[in-house]
Amino acid sequence: MRRLSGRFRAALIIGVQGIRARKVRTLLSMVSLFLGVFAVVVVQAGASIAERALLADLELTAGIDGTKRMDVMPHEQAPAIVLDTVRGRSDSVATLAVSAIIGEPGVRPVNEGASPLDQSWGPSQVCNSAGVCEPLQGNAPVGAAVEVRLTAMTGDIRTFRPLRLRSGRWLDFTTMPSMAPRLVLNLEAAKGFTRHQVPAEMRVGGASANLTPQFVGVVDDGDMQPRAYVRLDEMTTWLPPASLADPNAGAELQVLLSASTPAEQVLTSRLQGIGAQTYLSTVDSRKQQRDELALMRLVFLSMAGLVLLIGAAGILNVGLATVGERVEEFALRRAVGTPRSLLAGIVLAETLLTGLLTAAAAIGVSVAGLKVVVALVGESQPFLQGVQFPWQAGLAGIIAGLVAGVVGGFVPALRAAGIPIATVMRA
Amino acid sequence: MTALIELTGITKVLKGQKQPRTILDGVDLSVSAGESVAIVGRSGSGKSTLLSVLGLFDRPDAGQYLLAGRDISRLPERHAAKLRSSHFGFVFQRFFLLKHLTAAQNVAMALVNGQGWLPRRDRRARILQALEQVGIAHLAKTRPARMSGGEQQRVAIARALVRQPQVLLADEPTGALDTETGVVVIEALLAATERGCGLILVTHDRDHAARMGRTLDLADGVLTERVRA
Repeated sequence: MRRLSGRFRAALIIGVQGIRARKVRTLLSMVSLFLGVFAVVVVQAGASIAERALLADLELTAGIDGTKRMDVMPHEQAPAIVLDTVRGRSDSVATLAVSAIIGEPGVRPVNEGASPLDQSWGPSQVCNSAGVCEPLQGNAPVGAAVEVRLTAMTGDIRTFRPLRLRSGRWLDFTTMPSMAPRLVLNLEAAKGFTRHQVPAEMRVGGASANLTPQFVGVVDDGDMQPRAYVRLDEMTTWLPPASLADPNAGAELQVLLSASTPAEQVLTSRLQGIGAQTYLSTVDSRKQQRDELALMRLVFLSMAGLVLLIGAAGILNVGLATVGERVEEFALRRAVGTPRSLLAGIVLAETLLTGLLTAAAAIGVSVAGLKVVVALVGESQPFLQGVQFPWQAGLAGIIAGLVAGVVGGFVPALRAAGIPIATVMRA
Repeated sequence: MTALIELTGITKVLKGQKQPRTILDGVDLSVSAGESVAIVGRSGSGKSTLLSVLGLFDRPDAGQYLLAGRDISRLPERHAAKLRSSHFGFVFQRFFLLKHLTAAQNVAMALVNGQGWLPRRDRRARILQALEQVGIAHLAKTRPARMSGGEQQRVAIARALVRQPQVLLADEPTGALDTETGVVVIEALLAATERGCGLILVTHDRDHAARMGRTLDLADGVLTERVRA
């Protein structure tokens, strides 16, 4: 072990001396290798950033990886059981979504059915127990009103879905509920209210009165439908939870649960007890997007590998030329007792150090390049905001540099080890 | 008393030609500790081949090579490298100094060779001692390009002495030097024998050969002792 350590140190010392003595050659090797290592770093960094961006988008709509989503089918007693079970829990949030029309009183909304502002899905309908449906707003004229999906929450949904705040503030669940429900709009809803700025009145089916909402913020939730988020307790002042879960008004009841909460079992048992149907799914965003990216990354990494191979060939070329020039030095080293393995080690140490230096340069350029890109176009590309250089790309660069060093240095190392010692005698 | 070096019937045949050529033909040689021996002969007489065999650069085809009583005739390369490092010092006609290294770093080449590791302080002390032995300690930090031929050869001698070898093998060490400088180099080599190191000097120079304890003639692969007048 000690002998190995001595040889390792000797190889490093002599390798560093060799690099310092042949700076221009080292630089040439680095230039040929730089593009290959840089390509690997860029592909890896690009894949990591793309993965992060894709994951962020998936998490925005589907939820954070591992989140369990329970969809509860319409049942008269289900809302009460759900709300009773999740009350006061931080590991689960129930959401009740209904349609609401906000804007000018007594008019049909510009986007009936809570369709995206520039699309038309037809009017929202209300159905009675006999299954007869009719338009929610009858034959009223279309006016300055926007129909949104109103999501009432028992707690902060952002624990499970990282909604991005765009302006204003998010809902505060620690304060007393307000009589005028505070709403946070998504981008599509905010677009509607930018176009139709009228004194707002909010109409929700089953409410005891039309409400006066307060817009407190705007978030990006990845949803194309206009949506507003509200505290459930600010809605239940005006209408019972059962109305919020009325299937005839297109209501949806959903519970988001963390991976290991006991609430899931309790909820399932209690809902099964009343005969309500539930559907449980687990968010697996990472796997989904990993599959999407794997092939793309493989293709790009193969191309980068090819460039790296060309870089390694450059090291090999310069290495062979250098060994050819240093025949006497290596023969002399053998004469003074340097074993063949150490001679090979010296050449490999030089190429490995060259590879590492190149990797450091490629990583440095990539980090600087990313900073420049973020500074230039970060404002217009949300996925670039707050992006950091991924450590995986740095690691990939170092590994690429080392691999190129070994591949490029292997043959010169063998040649150095095989130089006949008698060379010095014939000189 | 056991001889430091004992060659018996050493034969070396040059193969790979139409007719194999015998370079060394049953060479016998004995060298004791502190003894100096000159080997003289015409060009192509096999002097360098003999030195190659002595220095474990090459193996004899026949015969026996004893170093301090140990048979090293068929030593594997790994062990040969270790012995070269621990028992032998080499001085060549060309100095083989690395131009990008200082004198001290060139001497250190024999210490940083993977055969054991010396702490930096010990290494430095050994290097300075070797440079002092050849009278150029003041040039420790100087690069070869700034030295004269004699000084460069003395750096090479210091490199050969730094591991305190038992045998010093010198192949035409004064061949590239003027007479005056050659004398200084020979004196540096002879000084090593006073510390018990055996010296085998291959030379064309009769004056230098005359300063050795014995002179041997190598002709047609046969080594004979020259009787001095």
